[in-house]
Amino acid sequence: MKKTSSETLLGYLYVGPTLSGYLLFVLGPLIAAILLSFTHYDMMSPPRLIGFSNYARLFSDARLAVVYKNTALFAVMAVVLTVGIGTLLGIALNKRLPGFLKYILRTAYFFPVLVGMIYAAMVWKFLFNRDLGVVNYYLHFFNLPPIPWLTSTAWAIWSVILVYGWKNVGFTMLTTLAGLQNISEELYEAARIDGAKSHAVLFRIIIPLLSPVILFNMTITMINTLQEFDSIVALTNGGPGDASRTVVMYIYDKAFRSFDMGYASAIAVTLFVVISIFTVLQLWAGRRWVHHS
Amino acid sequence: MKMVASSNTVAPSPHEVAVTTNKRHPFWEWIGTVLVILAAFPMVAPFAWMLTTSLKSGPHAFDMPPSWLPTEWHFQNFLSLFQSKVPFATFLVNSLEVAIAVTAAQLLTCSMAGYAFAHLRFRHAKAIFGLLLTSLMMPIQVTVIPTFLIMSGLNLIDTHWAIILPLVTNAFGVFLMRQFFLTLPRELIEAARIDGASQFKIFWKVALPLAKPALASLGIITFTNTWNSYFLPLVFLNSWEKMTVPLGMFALSNVYGSGNVSVIMAAVGVAVCPVLIFFLVAQRQIISGMVGSAVKG
Repeated sequence: MKKTSSETLLGYLYVGPTLSGYLLFVLGPLIAAILLSFTHYDMMSPPRLIGFSNYARLFSDARLAVVYKNTALFAVMAVVLTVGIGTLLGIALNKRLPGFLKYILRTAYFFPVLVGMIYAAMVWKFLFNRDLGVVNYYLHFFNLPPIPWLTSTAWAIWSVILVYGWKNVGFTMLTTLAGLQNISEELYEAARIDGAKSHAVLFRIIIPLLSPVILFNMTITMINTLQEFDSIVALTNGGPGDASRTVVMYIYDKAFRSFDMGYASAIAVTLFVVISIFTVLQLWAGRRWVHHS
Repeated sequence: MKMVASSNTVAPSPHEVAVTTNKRHPFWEWIGTVLVILAAFPMVAPFAWMLTTSLKSGPHAFDMPPSWLPTEWHFQNFLSLFQSKVPFATFLVNSLEVAIAVTAAQLLTCSMAGYAFAHLRFRHAKAIFGLLLTSLMMPIQVTVIPTFLIMSGLNLIDTHWAIILPLVTNAFGVFLMRQFFLTLPRELIEAARIDGASQFKIFWKVALPLAKPALASLGIITFTNTWNSYFLPLVFLNSWEKMTVPLGMFALSNVYGSGNVSVIMAAVGVAVCPVLIFFLVAQRQIISGMVGSAVKG
């Protein structure tokens, strides 16, 4: 009996630093943000309670609709690009390639994951330059007209999506490779001996058995894209106009440029709700569809 | 090899079966391999461009066609990072200071908490662990406004404390360390206890030394993330003397415009170096740390 209580004390002692960090910098601020969202606060005068005014304002804010639309497009396309291509890459690299070639390819795809997004975006900003950039040089080489990658309302968000996919596809590739390692070789052999075609092996064996990894990658990518900030700031700074601005950039602008802390908190709360809904949905989808061997 | 030619009337002979199973590269697999090799070029190209550009003298930076191998060796760009008014050396020292502090703190807090969740029985352990994991989905932009108010209340705006304190612990790290400590057999801990070792001694002298690979993974990932971090420094730091490399260099690149692209690429090259070194030295630790959570979790 005494031992249990001393172990409890010890447990709390060990978890203490982490738990207090969590309470001070995650849970506490979350609650504070919810409270702030019911106030008007400009950091000059103390917060003033204004009820649901900030939330009413959300519905009449035309810019908010635009940034949410951009965020949704960004998140969906980034998931399609990163998880789609990354999963295929993982499957393609899981074959019997010469060891050296495999290592080189894996390294090439994975290295950008580790490089800071702000640096990657600084490089891409020059590559995407309309008149002097390398990308348009090669387009011209194939007799294609120059594309204003970062400066046109039509292209800006797609450029950001491309850079995000370029940087993160290697993570999906790697988790896919690791997931494939858990599928036993005998399963492929058995399928082939039974006369299964390659595409049947892909759709009936590989993809179902990979489904936990695919769902994990989708969840991670979704959560990450909904908070992506660095690449957009560095590439387009949200522009032109609001063409590539996302919710998190809008929160930052409202809070730290306009010092409209109450309203910024209300937007932050909506983002938190959206992410929570997606997380719950994905957990639920995981229970329903994911194949557990 | 197992044979399964049962009801099929035109069952292939064993010889034919062996041939088809050994034929491991059908046409579309070859296409896939070629595509994977071709697509690797755009993955590497930005780094090649960064390197060649950082070694060019200013006027040649935008020469076309682009060169993918260095055409000149103009190391002056790297020197001018440190010689001119640009406080690049200060940025580097600041980044190093913050990244080392955060990494050291997380190694300690995450391994303590991870050990407790894996091997200590205490009340509400499961609930606390679940609660911690919710922070994995919490956007930093949701919590940053109140955090900013806390820091300004403590007079810590424009100090490194403001970006170190929120990162003193990390749910991902706790999860990673817990997963590792779960692989240590309970008997090992019990044996040490029977030998009369105190709980603290078991953690510090038995469990932690065995956790070196996991600590290396966590340490490298945390260092890299902090080294690359842009958002927190953007919110909390505003004087040049306090800025970290990502914040300072990006601000400077906007001030300079594209006139100094070679110098900017030299700076990016220097900033990417530590990550490259980690990658070459400890690729396995990085991968196991990042992937372990995906596959086991």
